[in-house]
Amino acid sequence: MNVIQILAAGVVGFPVIALVVLGLSGLLQRPLSESAVDRIAKVSVALGFSAALGILGIMLWNGERVAVLDLGNFVEIGTEHFHFHLEFLFDRLSIPMVLMSFVLVGVIGSFANIYLQGDAGYHRFFLSFSMFLVGLLFAFLAGTIETLFFGWELVGLSSALLIAYFHERKAPVENGLWVWGVYRISDGAFLLAALLLHHLTGEGEFMRMVSASPWPEGGLHIDAWSTWVVGILLLIAAAGKSGLVPFSGWLPRAMEGPTPSSAVFYGALSIHLGAYLLLRMGPLYAGSIGLRVVVFMLGLVTAVFAAMASRVQSDVKSALAFSSVCQVGIIVMEIGLGFWYLALIHIIGHAFLRSLQLLRAPTLLRDYRAMENAIGGRLANGQPIWVTQLSAQRQMQWYRFALERGYLDTLIEGWILRPFVRFFRTCERIENWWMSYLQGSSKKNGDKGKQAAE
Amino acid sequence: MSKPSDLQPARVEDTDTYLVARAQVEHAIEHAIHYLPSQGPIAVFVHHNTLHAFEHLPFEQGVIEGWKQYGAEPYLSEDRYREELSRGRITLEDLDEVLARDLGEKGEQCVLFSTTRIALRRMMLRYQVRNGPDEELRWFMAETDALKKFRSEVSSQTADRMLKEVSDELSAGGVTRAELEGRTLQWLHRICIEGAQSVGEVFNDIQPVRRHRDILLQVHGVDCDVRVHDQLIRFLGCVSDQGFAQWVMPNRERSLFELFQDYYGVTRAFHPKWLQLVASEIADDRQQGRSSMESIVHSLHLLGVREYGVEDFIESTLLSLPGWAGMLWQLESNAAWTPRPASRGTLIDYLSIRLILDIASLRGALAESPQLEDRPAVREGSLSMERLAQELRFHQRRGVRQTVEQRAFLLFQLAQLLGWTPMDLESLKGHQWQALMSEISSFSTMERRRIFHLAYERHYRVGVLDAISKQSLPRKSSGQPLFQLVTCIDDREESFRRYLEEIEPRLETFGAAGFFSVPMFFRSASDAHYIPLCPVVLKPRHFVDEIGQLSQQELQRRQAEARRVWGQASHRLHLGSRTLVAGVLTSLLGSLASLPMVARVLAPRLTSKLRDVITRVVRPNQATTLLIERMDVDVVGGGAGPAPDGNLNRGFTHEEMANIVERLLGDLGLHRFSKIVFIVGHGSSSLNNPHESAYNCGACGGGRGGPNARAFALMANDYRVRRILDARGVEIPESTVFVGAYHNTCSDHMEYFDIDRLPPSHHLEFLEAKELIDRARSANALERARRFTSAPLDMDPHEALRHVEARAEDLAQARPEYNHATNAVCFVGRRIRTRGLFMDRRSFLTSYDPTRDKSDVPVLTRILQAVIPVCSGISLEYYFSTVDNQRYGCGSKLPHNITSLLGVMEGAASDLRTGLSQQMVEIHEPMRILFVIEQLPEKVLGILEENPGLDRLVRNGWVQLATLSPETQDISLYEAGHFVPYRSGVGPTARYPTSHDYFGMHREHLPLVQIAQIGGAT
Repeated sequence: MNVIQILAAGVVGFPVIALVVLGLSGLLQRPLSESAVDRIAKVSVALGFSAALGILGIMLWNGERVAVLDLGNFVEIGTEHFHFHLEFLFDRLSIPMVLMSFVLVGVIGSFANIYLQGDAGYHRFFLSFSMFLVGLLFAFLAGTIETLFFGWELVGLSSALLIAYFHERKAPVENGLWVWGVYRISDGAFLLAALLLHHLTGEGEFMRMVSASPWPEGGLHIDAWSTWVVGILLLIAAAGKSGLVPFSGWLPRAMEGPTPSSAVFYGALSIHLGAYLLLRMGPLYAGSIGLRVVVFMLGLVTAVFAAMASRVQSDVKSALAFSSVCQVGIIVMEIGLGFWYLALIHIIGHAFLRSLQLLRAPTLLRDYRAMENAIGGRLANGQPIWVTQLSAQRQMQWYRFALERGYLDTLIEGWILRPFVRFFRTCERIENWWMSYLQGSSKKNGDKGKQAAE
Repeated sequence: MSKPSDLQPARVEDTDTYLVARAQVEHAIEHAIHYLPSQGPIAVFVHHNTLHAFEHLPFEQGVIEGWKQYGAEPYLSEDRYREELSRGRITLEDLDEVLARDLGEKGEQCVLFSTTRIALRRMMLRYQVRNGPDEELRWFMAETDALKKFRSEVSSQTADRMLKEVSDELSAGGVTRAELEGRTLQWLHRICIEGAQSVGEVFNDIQPVRRHRDILLQVHGVDCDVRVHDQLIRFLGCVSDQGFAQWVMPNRERSLFELFQDYYGVTRAFHPKWLQLVASEIADDRQQGRSSMESIVHSLHLLGVREYGVEDFIESTLLSLPGWAGMLWQLESNAAWTPRPASRGTLIDYLSIRLILDIASLRGALAESPQLEDRPAVREGSLSMERLAQELRFHQRRGVRQTVEQRAFLLFQLAQLLGWTPMDLESLKGHQWQALMSEISSFSTMERRRIFHLAYERHYRVGVLDAISKQSLPRKSSGQPLFQLVTCIDDREESFRRYLEEIEPRLETFGAAGFFSVPMFFRSASDAHYIPLCPVVLKPRHFVDEIGQLSQQELQRRQAEARRVWGQASHRLHLGSRTLVAGVLTSLLGSLASLPMVARVLAPRLTSKLRDVITRVVRPNQATTLLIERMDVDVVGGGAGPAPDGNLNRGFTHEEMANIVERLLGDLGLHRFSKIVFIVGHGSSSLNNPHESAYNCGACGGGRGGPNARAFALMANDYRVRRILDARGVEIPESTVFVGAYHNTCSDHMEYFDIDRLPPSHHLEFLEAKELIDRARSANALERARRFTSAPLDMDPHEALRHVEARAEDLAQARPEYNHATNAVCFVGRRIRTRGLFMDRRSFLTSYDPTRDKSDVPVLTRILQAVIPVCSGISLEYYFSTVDNQRYGCGSKLPHNITSLLGVMEGAASDLRTGLSQQMVEIHEPMRILFVIEQLPEKVLGILEENPGLDRLVRNGWVQLATLSPETQDISLYEAGHFVPYRSGVGPTARYPTSHDYFGMHREHLPLVQIAQIGGAT
C-alpha cells in the first residue's frame, strides 16, 4: 500500500467511522452529548478533507491522473458469477467533487450544530447527515457501478429521512415519501442499466469498461442499440435524482427539513448527483450523437421550465429550488454538448452559490430592505420580456402553467402513480381470488384473508 | 351518489331569501374576523394578546373558549405542572391557598363520608389520576400489579387502616398482608365498576364537527382540505406577494374573486378532475353573473348549510387556514403602508373562492372515493353532499362519552388515595354514586390545570410582592447624582440598569416608554422609506429626516450614489442567480461564494468586523443631523412614503418640542438633574431571523428607538425649548446636557449620538460615564449568557460580551437573544422602591413619582393607558405561544420559509404561521403579567373606572394588579373588582453582595433577592 492508498482509505474511512460511531450510539441507546456529536462530525470531515487534499497534492506532484483503491469483493458468489466489487477511483472528476463535498458538508455541519442546538432531533439529524456524507463519497469515488449504486442508495435514503425530519407533522412525511418514490423510479432505472452494462461488457469497473485511458477520455464498446437503451435508462436515473423534467416537482417538496439540510442536500449536493452520473458515464454518451441530442434537449426543457417556475414562486425556498433545477438543466445541456470540464466547474460553482443563498434565506427581509435603502425606492419587478409580447389571455395561461409547476406532479400522479397502484391492487385481487379458489373455501373466508393481508 | 343537479337551487339571487341570506353571511364574516389572527406583515411585528377576541370574557373562560374555537391548549399540560410541583416551583401551600380561594365555603363540604371537597381535589391534584382508552385500562389492570398492590402514593396509615377494616369485615385473620391487599383491591375495583354502571352518562370533552370535510375525514379518512390548501396557498402567495416573485402576476390589479375566475375558469384535459369541477362552478357563476357575495350564498346553498348553521360554518371555514385568511384581512384593513395592500372586500372574495374549491374537492372526493378507498360506507354509494350536510347538522357539538371502565378506574384510584373502603362504598345508593361521580368529573383535567396554573402564578407573585414589600422606604434624597440614564421600560433593560447601579451606586436610572414621547415618521440618511417610530396606537403627525451635515454633504451624496450602484448590482445579482442566462455566469463564478460562506459560518464575529471595514466606503458617516425643527420647505427632496399634508408636518415647532420634553420629564418624575442625562433607546439586530422586528422596541411599533432618543436629546438641549420650559416652571440647569444613545439588546452594543456637540466642559464626565456604561454592558452580557446553553457558565464579562456580539452576527444562530421571554412583572413607580432587587430580567420598570402627581393622577393615567395594553400584549402573546406553540405560536423556527415578504410558512407550503416560535419561548414561564403600581388603591380604581379598556383587562383577569403604598410598605392585591390588603410572608429577602455572586453558575429562573452592593438611595 502506498501513501496515496493510505490517504484514500482515510478519505472514505473517517466518515464511515463517524457514521458507525453515531449509528451505534443510537442503536445501543447510549446517546452522546451534542458537543461530542459535533466533535465527531467535525473531526471526520476535517480528516477526510485533509486526506483528499493530500491525494490531490501528490497526484499533482507526480503527474498521475488516476489512483485506485481496491478493497476487493465485498460479496462473491462464484457459481452465480455474482460479485459486489468495492473500488474507489480518484481522478480529475471525482477529486474536485469530493473536495467540494467535504467543504460544503463541513461548513453546513458546523452551521447545523448551532442551528439545531437543543432540538429534539439533533442526533437524528447528524446520523442522517453522516450517512449522507458517506453515500456521497461512495457515489463520487465509485470505481465500479455497484459501488456507485450503493452510494446512490445511501444518499437517497438519508435525503428522504432528512426531508421527513419533522415527522410529527404530516406534510414533511408525505413529501419525504414522495421524494423517496421519485428516487425509487430513478433507482430502478439505474439498476436496470447497471445489470445491462454488466451483461454487455462483463465488467462493472468504469476503468475497464471504458477502455484503459482515464476520464474524460475513452469510449464504450457496445453496439448502438445497447448504447441507446443503457443511455436512456441512465438518463432516467439522472433525471430522477437531479430533478429534471418530468421529476422537477420533488425539489421544492424537499424543503420541508430544517434550513441547513435543505441547503446542502437538495440545493447543492443531491441535486447534482444525476449530472455527475452523466459525467461519469460520459464516454457512453460521447459515442452517440443521438443520445447527446436527447440529453441536451432534456436539459434545455428543464432549464426553460424551471426558469419560468422559479419566477412565479412567492416563497424564497421554492424559488431557490427551481433556480437550482434551472442551473442543473443548463449543466445537463453542457454535458450534452460535450463541455465536460465546463459542466464540472459549473456544478462546483453552483453548489457553493446556492448553499450560501439557502443558508441566508431567512435573512431575506433584511436583505430586501438593505437593497431598497441603497437604491432609494421599491425594488422593481415586472414580467419577462417574452411574456409582454403575448395577449393577456396567453399571459395568464403561461403564468398559471408556471404557478402549477407545469402540472408535472399531477402528470406523475396520474400517469405513473395511479396506474402503478391500480396494477398492484388488481394483482392483489387476482391473488386473493386465486387463493380462495385454491382453498376451495367460501367468499367470506377469502375476505378474511384479504383483511389479514392488509 | 346524487348528481349535482339535484342540489341546484332555484335562482336565489333575485328573491328576498337572498337578501336575508346575504345579511346573515355578512354578519357571520364580521363575527369570524375577530377570531382571525391579527398579526400583520412580519416586517413590523407588534405583540398583542393572541386571544384579543375573548377579552370581554374572564381570562379563565376566555382560554377555554379559545380551546373550543381553535383546539389550542389553555394552560400547560397537567404533567408539566406536576413536574413543577415536584421541583418546588409550585408548593402544596400554593395549591391549598388557591383551592380554598376557588371553592370558598363549598370547599369544606363533605362529598363522601368524611372527605371534604377540598381534600378530594387536593388529592386529585397531588397525584396523577390516570385514565385512558378501555383497551389500555384493561391491559393496565391485567398486566401490572394495580390489583395486587396499593398505589405507591397511598400513605401507610391509610393502607393499614383500610386493610384492618377489610380484614375485620372478612374476618380473615390468618391471611398474609399481600394476599389481603390483593383481595381488598379486587373487591374495591369490583364495587367501583358496579358503582360506575349505576351512573348515567357522563360526557368528556367536546369534539366539534363543523364542516363537511371533518365528517369525511373522521368517517372515511379522506381529507379534502389537502388539495384545496395546496392550490390556495400557492395562489394567495402570488396574489398577495409584496414584491418577491420576479414575474408579477398578470392582471393582479383585479379583485381576488375576478383573478380566481380568470385563472381557474379555464380548464384543460390534463387538469385533475376536481379542478375541472372548479372551472365548471366558475362558469356557472359567470353565466349567472354572480358577485362574490352571491357566489357565497349560492355555495352555502349547494353545501346545504341552513340558517342557524351559517355562522358556525363560515367561522370554521375561515379558520381552516387562519394565517392566510387573517393576513388577507390585515392587508385589506390595516396595511396602507405596504407596497401592495389588498382592496376592500378581499376577505369576502377569499371566502367565496374557498367555498368553490371546497365544493369541488368534496365532489371530487365523493366521486373518486369508491376506487381509492375500499370502505363499506363509501361503497354503498350513500354519501352525497346532502347526506354530508345532514350528518353535519347531526354531528355538530356532540360530546364524547366516558365509558364505564374509565369511570370505574377513576373511582378505584381515588378510593385508594382517600382511604374509602369497599364496605363504605358498598353502602352507597344510586343517587350517591351519581353525586360522587359528578363531583369527580366536575374536577376535570381542564379544571385541574386551571387550579395548577393559579398556584403557579401565585407562587411567583408571592415572591415578588414579598421582596418589594421588604424594601426599605425612600429617604430624603441628597446630593447630585453622578449621572442619570433613561432607558425604555423594557424587561431586558432591567439588568442593564441594575449593573449600572451596582457598579456605581451614585447614579440614577429611569424607565419610560422607549419612544420618549416623540412620535414621528423617521427616515435615516441611508433609508428609502419613512417608518413610524411610536406605539401602534398613535399616529405620528411629524416627519423627521436624518441628513448629512453641511460640510459632509458632498461626500454623502457620492456615498449615496455608490450605495445606489451597489444596491442595484446586488439586486441584479440576487435576481440574476435565479434566472437562465445570468444564472450561468453567477454560478460559474459561484466558487467565490465559498469564501464568504465558510468565513461567515466559522467566524461570524470577525467576518462582520471585516465587512464593516469594507462597507465603510459606502455607509453614510456619522456626521449627520436630525431635521427636527419645523420646516416649510422640503430640503431633503423626494422619497417614498406618505407626503406631508395638512395634518402632517416636517419637524416640530419649539412649542411642540417643549410639550414633549415637559411630558417625559413629568412622567419620569425627573426634577433633579445631573450634568449629563443619557436618553437610551433600544433595538436589536440579528441575522437569519424573520421575526427580527419582534425583538425591537415595542413602544416604537417594532422599530429601533435610537432616533427617538436622539431627537429627544436635541429637543431638550435646545435653548429656545428650555426658555419655554423655564416659563412653564420646568427648570433644567444650564449645566445639564442630554445625550441620546442607542442600546442594541442583542449585541449589547451602545452608540451615542451627537457627542461632537457636547461642550468641552462635559467631556470628562462623558468619558467617565462611558467607561461605567461599558463595564455595565459586559456585566449585562454575562448575565444574559447564563441563559444560553451554548455559552459556558464560567466566562468573564469580556468574553461574555464577545459571545453576544458573535450571536448577533451568526447566520446559524436560532436564538440571537431571548427577547421578552420570562417577562412576568411590570413595576410602575419610583426606582428606589425596586432598586437593589435582582429581578432576573423579568420586570418592566416604568418610572413614576406618585409624590409629584396631582390628586387626580393625570400622570399615572397617561402612563397606565400606554403601559397596561403594551405590557399585557407582550405577556399574553408569550403566554399563548408557550402553552400551545403549535397552534398559538408558529412552531419551530428551523423549517421557516419566508413567503411573499409577508410571513413565514413551515417547510415547502403551509398556512402562514403567526405568533412566536418555539426558540423564542422555550425558557418562558407562561403567567399573566403582574402590575405593581406605586399609588393608593382608590386612585388606581378611579383610573380603571374612567378607562373601560383598561378596566376590561384588569377586571376580567387578563393581567394581575397590585398597588404599593407611596408612604408605607403596604401592598394591596386586586381581586374581583376591589383591592384587598396583601399579607406578606415572614422573613427578610435573601441578600447577596453582587448579582454575579447570586446567579453564578445557574441557568434556571431565580427568585428575587437583594443585591447588597447597590444599597439604598443616592
